[in-house]
Amino acid sequence: MDDFWYEFVEVTQTITDGLLFGSTYALIGIGFTLIFGAMGKLNMAYAGAALAGAYAGLAAFVLVKAPLVVVFGVSAVAAALLGYAIYFTCFRFIPTHNHLAALMASVGGLFFIDEVVVHVTRGSPLTFPSMFDDIYFEIGPFGIRGDLVFVFIIGLLSTGVLLYILFKTRLGLATRAVAQQDIAARLCGIGVHTTNSVTFAIAGVLGGIAGAMTAAAVGVLSPVMTVPLTVKGIIVAVLGGLGSIPGAIIAGLFIGGFENVFLYFRGIDERDMYVVALLFLFLVFRPNGLFGSTITRD
Amino acid sequence: MDYYLNLINTIGIHTLLGLSAYLLILTGQVSMAQAGFFGVGAYTAAILTVIFQWSILSAIGAAMLVAGGLAFLVGFPALRVRGLMLVVATIAFSEFARMFFYNLRWQVVRDGTEIGPNGTMGFAEIRYFNNNGWLNWEVTIFLWTFVVVVMAIIWWSDRTRVGAVLRAVGEDELAADSTGINVTVVKVAAMTAGGVVAGLAGSLYAHQVTDLDHHTFTVLLATFAIAYPILGGLTNVFGTLVAVVFIQGLLVEGLRFLGDWRMLLFGALIIVAMNFKPMGLFDNQTIRILQNALGIKRRGGST
Repeated sequence: MDDFWYEFVEVTQTITDGLLFGSTYALIGIGFTLIFGAMGKLNMAYAGAALAGAYAGLAAFVLVKAPLVVVFGVSAVAAALLGYAIYFTCFRFIPTHNHLAALMASVGGLFFIDEVVVHVTRGSPLTFPSMFDDIYFEIGPFGIRGDLVFVFIIGLLSTGVLLYILFKTRLGLATRAVAQQDIAARLCGIGVHTTNSVTFAIAGVLGGIAGAMTAAAVGVLSPVMTVPLTVKGIIVAVLGGLGSIPGAIIAGLFIGGFENVFLYFRGIDERDMYVVALLFLFLVFRPNGLFGSTITRD
Repeated sequence: MDYYLNLINTIGIHTLLGLSAYLLILTGQVSMAQAGFFGVGAYTAAILTVIFQWSILSAIGAAMLVAGGLAFLVGFPALRVRGLMLVVATIAFSEFARMFFYNLRWQVVRDGTEIGPNGTMGFAEIRYFNNNGWLNWEVTIFLWTFVVVVMAIIWWSDRTRVGAVLRAVGEDELAADSTGINVTVVKVAAMTAGGVVAGLAGSLYAHQVTDLDHHTFTVLLATFAIAYPILGGLTNVFGTLVAVVFIQGLLVEGLRFLGDWRMLLFGALIIVAMNFKPMGLFDNQTIRILQNALGIKRRGGST
């Protein structure tokens, strides 16, 4: 009985940690979903820009010993600017119907951003200031890491602000209008390019925060993180149903939780194998994701 | 000299990889599974020549069959998903295959040393060409024979009904369906053919580099696989070859004198290329310019 109890506590603990960490996946996934919802295109450079934003935040910390809020602020602003730059270089001038060319251009953007980062940091991983890691909540037999709670709260806050912007402001109205029908939106006097670039910037803000959160939770910032984060973000966006923000949140938490479950039972070497196998099965049985609309033609 | 032969080999292998993705993109499927099939082909062929001591040709044939069979099996469930969902489902497959090889340990003792896949340490000592006294240029010719044959087959079928059917499915599935094309058969066939070609590329790769590592078969390789046909254009198979030469020859090797800045230029050039040539480097416009320059008469109606 004691063994069972011990196991139960351990597993619950693992899942909780995973769920909390999953909020970073959720934020990155929301960014992908937001851009996909607005343009119907995939921005491969998104996670790269998010991590580059986190690097800018780290630079602010190292150079002027900026406080926590400023670090996150700088990350968000830098990632937003990068998001705008990506829109301008990879999407603005490529014909709207040509999805493959835009996809490829943003892959080029990903390589470019990644290489700038490698070049500036000389490829070595840097330590990111961890926050609240000395705080440890104990609830009965469970312990909760303070930094993960912090990450989770930031994630909730930024999602809240995003939902407010999207559904309560004129800017959000314009964004949703362009996402629904860009020709109709143009007829109503909404500048499609302006709106799209604002969407990219908003997604960039989220990305910068998520990048800084990931770095704070992991403790290091390294160019090696870009590709896994890109893949995780796309997986979360797709799993939640493309264009669905609640879907991305739930999918992000799910992935975080499942990752840790497999980590606990099968070890680090086999963890990702089971996660992707599960993903494949899920997509086969539910091709539109958790909350996706059931459009069968694209 | 060996350096250039290696570069030519790399271009050949990547051309095959790009062509496997080309077949799928023609039917409108952006598949990231090509890296997985490539890995399956590489490991299958290498295991056959190293552990079972098969000859190279039979090992390559078997690797093509295994990769093709796997592609056939993946093709059916993958039919249910399309667009971005397919991208993610195929990423999942590729990553699964990679993690499988990452955990694969199958060592046998031969001549006092342990050989075979060794999990995280990779799969070293695939020395078929060395042990059988092949010269480097012979390997290059052997490899390029396959490249030329595959290119010729795809070029030829592209001009027959097969090509028209593939492109019809890629343009508009519903329209293709209503003209009596069996979309399921076409898509699974394209997936299988793509798997066979990727498996071939992988088996050649394994014997050319003599050393396999799961890090080779990541999402990055899958991205390169779809990058070649997109960057080169879908007008015909030469687009893919042009893109491979552009990326592997010009950007990766040709700009080596730029040192670290080379990779910066790499990303920037892809962006520039896509902005000015959204239909690919080797699009109809380029072909027309080339034809005019070479004084070749155009066939009527082809624009």
